[in-house]
Amino acid sequence: MEGLAQDILNALLLGGLYAIVAIGLSTIFGIVRLVNLAHGDLMILAAYLSLFMASALGVSPLLTLVAIIPIMFVIGYVLQRFLLNRVLGAEMEPPLLVAFGVSIILQNFMLMTFTPDARSLMSDLSLMTFPLGSNLNIPILYLIDFCIAVAVIIGQHYFLQNTYMGRGIRAASDDKYAAELMGINTRNTYAVAMGIAIMTAGVAGVLVGMTFTFYPHSGPQYLIIAFGVVVIGGLGSMKGTFAGGLILALAQILGARVFGPGYQLLCGYIVLLIVLAVRPQGILGRG
Amino acid sequence: MPSDTALDIERINVFYDDFHALWDISLKVDKGQIVSIIGSNGSGKSTLLNTIAGQLNPKTGAIAYFGEAISDLASHETVARGIALVPEGRRVFPRLTVFENLLMGSYPPKARKNREQSLENIYELFPRLKERRNQMADTLSGGEQQMLAIGRALMSQPKVLLCDEISLGLAPIVIKDIYQKIKQINAMGLTIILVEQDITRSLKAADRAYVMLEGKIVLEGAPSELTEERVKEAYFGI
Amino acid sequence: MADRFTRVKWTVLALLAAGLGTVPVWGSDYAILFFMLFCIYLAMAQMWNLLAGYSGLISLGQQSFVGLGGYTVAVLSSYYGINIWIGVVLGGLASVLLALFMSLFIFRMKGVYFAIGTWIFAEALLVWFSNWAYVKYGSGLFIKPTNEISMATIYYAAFVVGVGSVVLVYMLLRSRLGLGLMAMRDDDQVSATLGVEVFRSKLYCFLISAFVTGIVAGIFYIFQIFIQPYKAFAIDWTVKLVFMVIIGGIGTIEGPIVGALIYVLLSQFMAEYFSVSMLVLGGIAIVVILLAPKGIMGTLQEKLGFEILSPRRY
Repeated sequence: MEGLAQDILNALLLGGLYAIVAIGLSTIFGIVRLVNLAHGDLMILAAYLSLFMASALGVSPLLTLVAIIPIMFVIGYVLQRFLLNRVLGAEMEPPLLVAFGVSIILQNFMLMTFTPDARSLMSDLSLMTFPLGSNLNIPILYLIDFCIAVAVIIGQHYFLQNTYMGRGIRAASDDKYAAELMGINTRNTYAVAMGIAIMTAGVAGVLVGMTFTFYPHSGPQYLIIAFGVVVIGGLGSMKGTFAGGLILALAQILGARVFGPGYQLLCGYIVLLIVLAVRPQGILGRG
Repeated sequence: MPSDTALDIERINVFYDDFHALWDISLKVDKGQIVSIIGSNGSGKSTLLNTIAGQLNPKTGAIAYFGEAISDLASHETVARGIALVPEGRRVFPRLTVFENLLMGSYPPKARKNREQSLENIYELFPRLKERRNQMADTLSGGEQQMLAIGRALMSQPKVLLCDEISLGLAPIVIKDIYQKIKQINAMGLTIILVEQDITRSLKAADRAYVMLEGKIVLEGAPSELTEERVKEAYFGI
Repeated sequence: MADRFTRVKWTVLALLAAGLGTVPVWGSDYAILFFMLFCIYLAMAQMWNLLAGYSGLISLGQQSFVGLGGYTVAVLSSYYGINIWIGVVLGGLASVLLALFMSLFIFRMKGVYFAIGTWIFAEALLVWFSNWAYVKYGSGLFIKPTNEISMATIYYAAFVVGVGSVVLVYMLLRSRLGLGLMAMRDDDQVSATLGVEVFRSKLYCFLISAFVTGIVAGIFYIFQIFIQPYKAFAIDWTVKLVFMVIIGGIGTIEGPIVGALIYVLLSQFMAEYFSVSMLVLGGIAIVVILLAPKGIMGTLQEKLGFEILSPRRY
């Protein structure tokens, strides 16, 4: 039983990280009905950019977020506005396949540019812990991940609920035709939504880069995590995203505890597949 | 060159890809008029409204709005200029509240500045909407949704209101109520174009009527000039 | 006139097939390798096209069957000394069983969820095999045929499956199942009301694609001699199939043929620059989806009415 409490604490905090990994995918899927298969790769791209900036400028990776955030927004906006908007339509295949193509291009681009070596956004924070009571330690890094994740997700929620642009995004996702009649330029709106999604992916990427090692091909594993959170937690709900993150993290950590570290990913996959089969709209999702 | 003709449509031809939907349509609407466009399904009435609103653009011909050429504009540009369309089937945003739906109507910057006042006016016109303002739009009845759709269109402070089949699927007593509101809206100074399948109702409300068949205008005139006989003949293409 | 075209068409096709079937006789070693890869990718691409182009099922997880087919052959030949060709067939059957199991989960899912479900299964298999002592974890296994197998034999096997896959798809589409599929492709719900068994048709296609993919993977790994989880279950397989079919022409029988040819040509060309070649492939695929979404053969069919292997009935 020892270490179980620590595992659960870690899972809680990790769940927050998973939630912010997923929020971008969830937003775009909920709004434009597009599964951005390049989501994970864009995260990793942000991690590499942060690495580059942090070492060039000699600053903490967290500071690079100041630049990464607008850069990723622009990347997302441009991607949607000039590429993905063109394939949005009745059929589901073209956007999926285009996103797939982008994913492959990104991975190979990063492979060629940054070499296949393992990387990490090391900082002093990586090893620090904060004791809680006599038995537990809070890894500071996980805590930071968690706090930033909460801040970003709540911030985005507020934006979507309470601003004109945010409501416009929701309206455009409900009914594109009617939204256009309101004077909403849906091409722009979708691009803004994607910009926001990729921006959060960028933040998630930097956090992930600080917390784990990454490679050019690390993208897909985070895509699957994102997808897992969305499936388990359901779309369109902030609580759902957090719940999904938590459950997935728990499944992985407890799975590793019971079956061994090699099975960490597998346990996550199994939980995901079960939820997909039994309750595809997610545990907290709307039917 | 500004003029008092709200809409001057000259010989427009509109296509859906290769399908010729509107043939040489010409139409004039004076400021403050209520104009009725009648026709069966597929006659092109919705296409006409969509073209005026900017969802479609005519291949040939011209549309002038108070003297300004608008045939090449997109919807968000025509809305900003004061043309609002209440779409067929109402199409309120189901996952937004009544209040948020109305707010969406005032998206264009000019309308946004005056949104408080516009909201007041709409709540006065449609008290039911004020009651239900925090409810999700998809929980409203058909009639209430229609009122919401009209209210939402009015939020953009239009000068011309295009109504696409606002009586569709509604009970007669509700329709009566809605048409009364249309009269009130007209009295406020708006020019209104009504597209309907229901001949009697829209003829009663209008200053001028047009009958469409297969993308062409086959009959026009003041309702007093148009006997039911003639209208039915034109409607069915006899 | 149409008759003469038909006769010419079939003659040319027969000649091409004969040429393809006799490569070990007239071709260099390099040619044998080239056309063998062509046949293998052709079969896999036909199957992916059967799913995505005709059944409306986008599979991002064909590599599950590749890995399972390959590992079946490896395990049976290395550990139990079973005849390699029996191993190949068993690999196909194992893939069918896997597909059946997968279908319990993923056939409840629609559209995009289905696609990702197939991918997740493949990833799960990757992790499973990497951690499985029985198959020596991630270090991989050798394929050890009991007797010496010549390159020519492997080639003929690949040829049979490759051309066989084209014939199979053609016959399938001309059958009752095929008519239903083509109706479904246009409108799922309407065709359901007409009595087309949507679910069953899709399931059959999924199982068939698993079988053929499993078999052809077995043949591929006989050639490769060595199999490892991270390569056998890698998404790379799907990447290649997607690109082949998209560029060649999705929803046409000729499309995968053209696509496989282009891919093998390109990969030979750019053998040293793997990353660049994938990047280029990705870029071409995107351009194709944007500008000519029906691919080479699809666009030709649309613009010129040019159909070589048409499953249509007149």
